[in-house]
Amino acid sequence: MAAQNSSLPMTEPRSAFSRASLSDRFIIALAVICTFIAFSPFGYAALTSLKSEWKDGSIIPFLQFEPNLLNWQQEFGSGGAETMKALRNSTLISLGATLVATTLGTLAGYGLARFKYGIGNRNLVSWFLSQRFLPPVATLIPFVLMFRDLKLLDTLPGMVIVNATFTLPFAVLIMRDYFADLPHELREAALVDGASEFTTFLRIALPLALPALVASTLICFAFSWNEFLFASVLANRDWKPYPMLVAGSDTVRGIDFGFVTTRMLIAVIVPVTLSLMVQRFIVRGLTFGAVKG
Amino acid sequence: MTTKTKRSDGTLKNNRAKYLFLMPGVIWILAFTLFPLIYSFGLSMTNYRLGRNPKYIGFENYAEILGIGDEKVDKKAVSTASFSAFLFMASTATTLFFGTFVAWVFNHNLPFLRQMRAIITMPLFAAPIALGWLGVVLFNEQSGPINNVLEGLGLGRVNWFIEPWPARLAVMFTDVWQWTPFVFLIVLAAMQAVPDDLYESAQLDTKSNWNLFRHITFPMIAPALGTVMLLRMVESLKIIDIPYSLTRGGPGSVTQTYVFYAYEKGLIGSFQLGEAAALAYLLVIVSIVVSSIYFYRVRERFE
Repeated sequence: MAAQNSSLPMTEPRSAFSRASLSDRFIIALAVICTFIAFSPFGYAALTSLKSEWKDGSIIPFLQFEPNLLNWQQEFGSGGAETMKALRNSTLISLGATLVATTLGTLAGYGLARFKYGIGNRNLVSWFLSQRFLPPVATLIPFVLMFRDLKLLDTLPGMVIVNATFTLPFAVLIMRDYFADLPHELREAALVDGASEFTTFLRIALPLALPALVASTLICFAFSWNEFLFASVLANRDWKPYPMLVAGSDTVRGIDFGFVTTRMLIAVIVPVTLSLMVQRFIVRGLTFGAVKG
Repeated sequence: MTTKTKRSDGTLKNNRAKYLFLMPGVIWILAFTLFPLIYSFGLSMTNYRLGRNPKYIGFENYAEILGIGDEKVDKKAVSTASFSAFLFMASTATTLFFGTFVAWVFNHNLPFLRQMRAIITMPLFAAPIALGWLGVVLFNEQSGPINNVLEGLGLGRVNWFIEPWPARLAVMFTDVWQWTPFVFLIVLAAMQAVPDDLYESAQLDTKSNWNLFRHITFPMIAPALGTVMLLRMVESLKIIDIPYSLTRGGPGSVTQTYVFYAYEKGLIGSFQLGEAAALAYLLVIVSIVVSSIYFYRVRERFE
């Protein structure tokens, strides 16, 4: 295994335990294999999407076809009205949900980091997070009836409510952690100068918390973008988001691999790109603060 | 402004403004999570179907699912629950194993690992519904790359979507592929927190990597592994998108998860909302148990 990758540039071993029996070369080879396994399905999908005719039995598809952009042109070209509408819906829904979740999450996160509440801050944080543990079907069933009565089925506000609700815990947690790490003295100095609590929050704390604010925004956006289950029931016509199109890929013309992989990649590009930008906050956000990344 | 009493930790008491920060979020969760949950419990006590008037039937739905009293146990609830239980254990164990291994590989100070690390996390953020469709392409019996590779290795082609166990494994592999980076990120963070001097002193006694891992790394990352195991367990109970797009629950209903069954019962076809709510509520109880263990473990972190 190591021999295949011997052409990789090598450097001096630096860490304390890479001096041990296994060579660095072997470790790098293992890392390359792991990375290949994680990435190759996407790579295969990208190649398949450049193919408009399918040939059976191709292990290395790139060598056996002429790449073209027909599938992509079909998604975005003249026949792509459905795609564009779904992408617009996904964008508006995710933006709205992100705005609500980040606003409420920032306020609550600041409160939980800076004040003591009678009920116990630990209980409050756990309470905010506990709803992430609930199986979504449990709230989906009543949402159908509530939304029907409130005339929110297949509307933008309805979809914003759904997505804001399940991304709010991420926002609360990321913001709370960040505010808690900011020095208390800044806030106290502002309060002594006569600023109100809210002015202090807006003028002093919020600008300092900009990195966390960006992270929270991107994470909420990415997770809203991926949401399928609620959308499949609550928004199946005018406000259909993009994952719904992906889910229905086979009903259009059987399973056309080039078509399916093109749609799959469009669905995946946005959240994956966003999350690569906020790697630093991902671990904390996803473990609800249990592990510092 | 209200009076401020300064406390040693820098927080303020007797301050009404603090509720203005907290309340919007609290009200939101009360309205859109707690209220629906109570609503759902009420529904589970009725025989409600869409288009019919609901009637209160007490715990009859639960009795029907669990086979209490005169009722026969709901066979499909049991079979879908056992597939969910399979994922709960097998998928959690497999992601923990691979995630820890990948973290061990990446916990070396070598060139390119940082860049590769970012690539490895990509599956985690992709929409599961899209990954299910990706699986349809990859596992395709005739022209999918997985069967082509298996054949190339002389292992023969597998009927991923026709035979029960291959179908179950296809769902599991897709889930494992998506969630291994999650375990990887958390375990890697835990490994990087292990002080270097621990290794330095241990290396006086042993040169074996395996011994170093077993006696130093593993005990140090065990708490993080416990945390990530519980999170994976909770997530595995919620799996629906991947079988929905990858196998449609088939062949038959062998890859239908319990959540998928509740979804189908309440929201497709006959819309038996009362029964579906009862099915969902039983799962809520399981989730509460697992999450209580989780919050008990991490309680100090939130002070």
